[in-house]
Amino acid sequence: MEKPEKLIIDGKRLDGRAPEEMRPLKIEAGVLKRADGSAYVELGENKVLAAVYGPREMHPRHLQRPDTAVLRCRYNMAPFSVEERKRPGPDRRSVEISKVTRQALEPVLFLELYPRSVIDIFIEVLQADAGTRTAGITAAAVALADAGIPMRDLVSSVAVGKIDDMIVLDLTKEEDQWGTTDMPVAIVPRKKLVSLLQMDGNLTEEEFKRALDLAFRGCEQIYQAQRQALKEKYAIKPEGE
Amino acid sequence: MLYVQNREMVVPGQLIAEDGYRVHEGAFREGKFVYASVVGLADLREREVRVIPLQGCYVPKRGDVVVGIVVDSHYSGWILDLASPYAGNLFVSDLLRRKVDLVREDISQYLSMGDVVVANVKDVDERMRVQLEASEPGMGKVEGGKMVELSPMKIPRVVGRKGSMLNTLERIGECKLKVGQNGRIMIWGRNQQMINAVVEALLMIEREAHISGLTDRVRQMLEKIKSKGGK
Amino acid sequence: MYEMISKVRRDYIGDLARQGKRVDGRALNQYREVSVEVGSIKSAQGSALVKLGRTQVLAGVKIQHAEPFADRPDSGVLIVNAELLPLASPTFESGRPGEDAIELARVVDRGIRESEAIDLEKLAIKSGEDVWAVFIDIYALDHDGNLIDASALAAMAALLNVKTPEDEAWTLPGLPVTKKPVAVTIAKINGKLMVDPCLDEENVMDARITMTTIEDGSLCAMQKGGIGCFSREELEQAYELARAKSVELRAHLG
Repeated sequence: MEKPEKLIIDGKRLDGRAPEEMRPLKIEAGVLKRADGSAYVELGENKVLAAVYGPREMHPRHLQRPDTAVLRCRYNMAPFSVEERKRPGPDRRSVEISKVTRQALEPVLFLELYPRSVIDIFIEVLQADAGTRTAGITAAAVALADAGIPMRDLVSSVAVGKIDDMIVLDLTKEEDQWGTTDMPVAIVPRKKLVSLLQMDGNLTEEEFKRALDLAFRGCEQIYQAQRQALKEKYAIKPEGE
Repeated sequence: MLYVQNREMVVPGQLIAEDGYRVHEGAFREGKFVYASVVGLADLREREVRVIPLQGCYVPKRGDVVVGIVVDSHYSGWILDLASPYAGNLFVSDLLRRKVDLVREDISQYLSMGDVVVANVKDVDERMRVQLEASEPGMGKVEGGKMVELSPMKIPRVVGRKGSMLNTLERIGECKLKVGQNGRIMIWGRNQQMINAVVEALLMIEREAHISGLTDRVRQMLEKIKSKGGK
Repeated sequence: MYEMISKVRRDYIGDLARQGKRVDGRALNQYREVSVEVGSIKSAQGSALVKLGRTQVLAGVKIQHAEPFADRPDSGVLIVNAELLPLASPTFESGRPGEDAIELARVVDRGIRESEAIDLEKLAIKSGEDVWAVFIDIYALDHDGNLIDASALAAMAALLNVKTPEDEAWTLPGLPVTKKPVAVTIAKINGKLMVDPCLDEENVMDARITMTTIEDGSLCAMQKGGIGCFSREELEQAYELARAKSVELRAHLG
């Protein structure tokens, strides 16, 4: 695709959004039967599934920790999730994302309650349109809660970036490709703590602060949607009523 | 001060109470604030806060009755799967309630792979190593019957307040139940149709555990099936 | 593999941090002794050995012909690889790069790539067919903490040390290096921020943040690590530290 001349025209982005506006977000909890917990997230054109298994017995046994559960995480993109077929299996990018995702979620978990066990998080990106790692974290946090795993808080995540020298919330693939900066952020909402922060591109001091502002605001919206999704899952009516 | 209603649905990290509340399972304290740690129903009684979880795995506690499945054996006993991250160990002497001379006696005659055992959790150490015993009459290897697996978080509802739900199930369903805290329930009875009705009732309890008036709905359902010729 | 650290040690380092002190007596904003030695590997086009105290990282640069990526036919190729050698620590195992090695390589890569430190457009030879590929291989030789900063500094020093390849296709006066990105890693222990964590500090830290800046003080890459969190104020404080310290580190690049 050719680079568009401008990514922001008259204050509007190519998909019509304002700079601080997030794409439409849908979160659903408990979408998989076999998993102990699961969640599905759609953010714009992103479609991401997360499943949690555990706490369960850790195999191989030498990986057990005598005093705590081990958290494992696998972020993976489906071969058909991107324009050009992605070779199946882990690549360097997904290995790194798996690691930072795990570290973004671990601070809220009471892992010490389950010595010698393991909690597995599987994130599958079914359709990608930039911001898949943050959508994955958002989904995984809901899936962990859905599995009944004790948590201090949820974790909410979104990316901010810079396009046409302007800081904007929640980049699309187009904006990520032609913009200059991408900054994925995850936040533990109650205490307003940052549990994931990555950045590539270029930010001045003022831009960095503005980017954090937008990330906090975006995560607050995501947090509300996460809570809503969890409450909705269990708000069923008894039969015959 | 309270921030939620009694029986209100809460999510992890949600503020429940402030100042002077005792904290029980499903909740945690940070400074003077009490938050939920799991998705569930806030249970607020006097100055006590707990969250009744809607999901979660079984973690063995001393004194629990559990229904285990034999998955391995060793020199002096068996390993039982407890539908939990932690397996249980059952020594042959704790199964037979007597001393056993391992040199003279072939213990493989007592249990084999796949056998179902009702047992009591004798001890759990800080590393979550679980010792079991078949300490009471009615415990030990299970013969016959039907097994149902529910989310262990729903077991308190299967028992009900002071055993009321269990009572209803056994009386109207004309069955004998053995409820494992780990979510496995054994059912014995003469009337196959009523056994099936009780299974259905258990699944209904699992589905609707957090909605009030459950005991009445279960009673109605069982009586309806019974009147249609469950006898 | 994780390192078991005694509770006594953990408490000791934590208590020191609370008082604004460190195990090796440094100030919170003080790096260990930095040394950069370039050109020691003759078989590489450029090389650098960086020491941060007892941490040692060797970076070697090789420049070779390669096919360009299909979507960038007129752009050279940059490839950063890192290996945590078993000789560098009892916790490193041989075999394919694990997640720590991959993260390390990608953090170094982002600093160089995103700052456009190398003008890759100048490295085209024949459009769509032949370009120069710059391979940076990072070799961790001794792991006493903060491999990221040592590796990023070694990579930049090695790039600046590159001697032009003896190949008639090479027409440039030298490798077009236009910027000097510098990574500064800040650890958080007991709520205190400190630069350049040594191994003991890494083993007990709550979290770390690496901020890579260029000459004008703006950011070109960031990476948070560890299982703890940062508040907004801490991040802004970390940025101040990173900018100040990057000036010192950059001075070692000549």
